[in-house]
This record gives sequence, C-alpha cells and structure tokens, in this order.
Amino acid sequence: MPEYVRQKLTLDFGQVSYYLVKRIREYIEESKKDGGIIGLSGGIDSSVTSILLSKATSNFHILLMPSSSTTKKDMEDAMKIIKLTKAEDKYTLVNIDEIVNKFSSAVNTSNNVIIGNIKARVRMILLYAFAQKMNYLVVGTGDKSEIMLGYFTKYGDGGVDVLPIGDLYKTQVRMLGSYLGVPEEIVEKPPSPALWEGQTAEGEIGLDYETIDSILYLKFEEMREPEEIAELTKASLDKVMKIINMVKTSQHKRLPPEIFRLSGRAINSDWRYPRQWG
Amino acid sequence: MGLKVELAQIRPKLGDVKRNLEKHQEIIQTSTADCIIFPELSLTGYVLRDLVYEVFKESERAIDKLSEENKCIIAGLIKEVRPGILRNSSAIIINHQVNFTYKFYLPTYGLFEERRYFQPGDPKKDLKIFEYNGIKFGVIICEDAWHYEPIEALTLMGADAIFIPSASPMRRMTTKLGIQDNWEALLKAHSIINGIWTVFVNNVGSQEEEFFWGGSMVVSPFGEVVSRAKLFEEDLIISEIRLDEVRKNRFFSSFREHNRDFHGVLMSL
Repeated sequence: MPEYVRQKLTLDFGQVSYYLVKRIREYIEESKKDGGIIGLSGGIDSSVTSILLSKATSNFHILLMPSSSTTKKDMEDAMKIIKLTKAEDKYTLVNIDEIVNKFSSAVNTSNNVIIGNIKARVRMILLYAFAQKMNYLVVGTGDKSEIMLGYFTKYGDGGVDVLPIGDLYKTQVRMLGSYLGVPEEIVEKPPSPALWEGQTAEGEIGLDYETIDSILYLKFEEMREPEEIAELTKASLDKVMKIINMVKTSQHKRLPPEIFRLSGRAINSDWRYPRQWG
Repeated sequence: MGLKVELAQIRPKLGDVKRNLEKHQEIIQTSTADCIIFPELSLTGYVLRDLVYEVFKESERAIDKLSEENKCIIAGLIKEVRPGILRNSSAIIINHQVNFTYKFYLPTYGLFEERRYFQPGDPKKDLKIFEYNGIKFGVIICEDAWHYEPIEALTLMGADAIFIPSASPMRRMTTKLGIQDNWEALLKAHSIINGIWTVFVNNVGSQEEEFFWGGSMVVSPFGEVVSRAKLFEEDLIISEIRLDEVRKNRFFSSFREHNRDFHGVLMSL
C-alpha cells in the first residue's frame, strides 16, 4: 500500500469505535429491538463487529455456523472472540452441513460456487430465525472493500439489518481490530469466506487487500485515472481495471431490486421516505 | 450590555414534530437564558426526504405554540411561503412576535438534496436584523455560513451577532474530525473579519445514514471559541454575548475599511 494511501486510511480509531458503538446502540433502540445477533466466523470482520456489538449492548448473541469447509483454526479463533467478548453464555453452535446437503440435493448440484452461496444463505436464514426468536437485529459484518467489489452473497451475508463497518475498508477494519484488541493472528489472517476449502478472497481476486483497498480508494474517493492508480500502487493496469470492473458489474447487488416505473410516484424513484417514518 | 444565549444542541426525532415540540418547550421553560437557539429544522429533523410534504404544516403549527412562550426563541421549521412552495426556515420569536428567515444557499452536493424540496430565500427581500436586550442579531442557516455574503450583508445592516442553526453531518473522518475543524475556521474568519459574535448550533445524533456531530460553539469577535458543546451527545450550554467585545474588535480592526466597489466588480463577473 502506498504510504500516501495508508496515511489517508489511518483514522482516529478511538473516535471511530466510540461512534460505531454509539450508532449500533441507537440503531437497536430505534428499531425497537432488544439486542443484536451476529454470525461469527473467526475472521477479522466478524471479530471486529462482534466486539463493537458487545460494547454497544449486553443483549447480544453470537451464532457459530461451521460447515465442512470451515477450518479448525477459524473455529479456534471464533472461540477467542467469544472469550474476549465474555460471550461464553451468549452463543449457539449450529453445524449447517445437513441443511446445506438437503438444499444441494434438491438443486441436484455439486458446484462449489452454488453450494457456497447456499451456505451463505442458510446462515442468513438461521440468523434471522434466531433474531426473531429473541427480538434482536441481525448485525452484518461486511466491510467496504467486500461491498464495493460485490464480494458477498446477495441475501446471504449481504442479507442483514445493518452494516456497522460497511464504510471501512478491509485495511481499516484490520487497524480497528488491532485497536480493539483482536488477537494479532486474526488481524493478519488472509480473509476468506470459507465457502469451499482453500478459498481466500485474495486468491480469488489475485491481489492482496492492501492493493485492492488502494485501488478502490484512489479510484472512487479521489477519482484518479486508472493509469495513475497503476503507477501509484505498482499493480498492473489490467488488475486495476479488473477491480474497477468488479465494482461496476456488482452495482445491482448493492441496490434494492429495480422496480419498473408505471405510476406518477414509483417506489425509490420518486417516492422516497426515510426508514424513520412514524 | 449582554445577551445570554442558550445553545440547544438537540437530537430531533425525524418527522416527529409533536415529540420535538415537547422537547423544545421543556428546554425553553427551564432555561435561564434570554434567547434559546435550536438547530436547523429542529422541529422536523433534517433527512426527511418526501416526509417534507407530510410534516411542514405541523411544523408551522408548532411555531404558533412556541410563540406562547415569553422569551426569545429561534427554532427550525419548514414554511410554506406560497401554496406548494416550501422553504427551509428559522422562526425568530421575540415576545410572542414571530418572524422568519430562509436559507439562501441550498446544498445539493454530496449527500445533500435540499434543492429538490425547497425554494431558496431571496437576499433582496429576506435579509433581516432583529434586536433583543440591546443586541442586534441576524439568523442564517447552515450552508449560508459557507459563503461570505450573507454574514457580511447582515453585519453591514447592523448585526452584532449572527446565529447559525445547522445540520452538519459527519463526513471525512480521519485522524481528526475534519468537518469540525472546517466549521471552526469558518466561524473564526467570519467573526474576526466582521467583528461579530458567531453562534453555531448543530444538530446531534443519527438520522438515516447520516450522523450529526454536535460540537455547537460560540466564537467571539476576536476569533476565540468561548464555549463549546459536547461532540456526539445532546447538550445545552449558555454563553453571554457582550457588545463590548464587538466594540473592542472594531476599534482596532479592518472592519471600517469596507470597500463596496468590490461588490460592483462581483456583480460584473
């Protein structure tokens, strides 16, 4: 990561965590919910978000939803976070293999990507079912890098009520993690959705997250030209264009479904009300 | 001679005029200040989107209620100036008399979309000066302070203090709160150049994706921040505005050297 970008992405993480914790607390109150539930994988995003949630409210619950592709290390790391957040009596473990297998059989597929997305959506269903049972909100763990790249499953890990760290790049989430006391091995672990064995985000995209974040920041916040970004980040122009195209082609995943207009006031188009209504 | 102002840094509930009115009344009734200043759109909340059309009438009725109070009150509302023409407005209530000022500059950049809903005020008709306890003041709304002219005009019309009800959302947070630095710099510059008190009263708390950072402040004619409200929390602070500070600034400042010819040049650009 160029030093210039690192400086731009380095925040006052004390103030950032104060702000995020306050907003999670307020969001739960305003939604008239009793607390928040989160899916913890043992990765940096869900670890950081779990800590923030635990600081916002004592009414939180953690779901561990491993499958056959979940590594032992991830489970160990998740348990470290449970200890750190003093959630020993606030978590539930559900192995999702059986449910996923039933879905996969129904679809009659052995395709890794299809099954991977089924896993993400099964987790979403479980999170919402627990949330409803407890009158909690589903707290999402997506970060800005993943959301920008479209590197999430629509209605899977993207299916949540609120995204507290959705405006922080992965690199910033790692910095926040260090500030919050997340164990160093979790901070430094290569990010992975673990939807199939050996899957890592950086492996799939072909760039490390520091470079990805630099490209995203320079393109979409400083609006620089791809050639200049390639020069600054030492990434090839092809890779820079690949990242930019990932953002462009995934725009549909970040927006609510399109509604084809007929009336004078179509929802979203020119019928636009805030969530806090009434 | 002084004026005690209370900066009512509140967190209005979006679209809930009834609840916001009650909060205004509670603060006014317990205040020991001469003048209580609430933030921009304090009776309605800011991120209204199409709720604008549903709450404007109620916000006007709320001002009627506030005018029953025997104080100097500045509160934010949406005023319908002609059928269907709405303005982002401040009500200035002095001893039951109600007056209005309107926002001149409606931001449309970044997250803002005010021009979609509101008509701007007209500088030729809508610049007004008020007086209470011997202090003359003008009221402009938020974005107006990001331009030279409204404050300059009101000062030349005689204002000793400018009250700035605002809805400034947090953005570009880095190792410091950049927007807070920006506001402080703006207020200091306006105060020093014009020899006036500037009183910035911000909203606080979340409304949809946005979060208003609070940090209301009073800046003396010498450019000193003499009082500050908390960041990120509701707060009430009382501060005294004294004419002597205005006088002292202007004895030894460039304020008297105003050259109107520059405005002629500006008109021709």
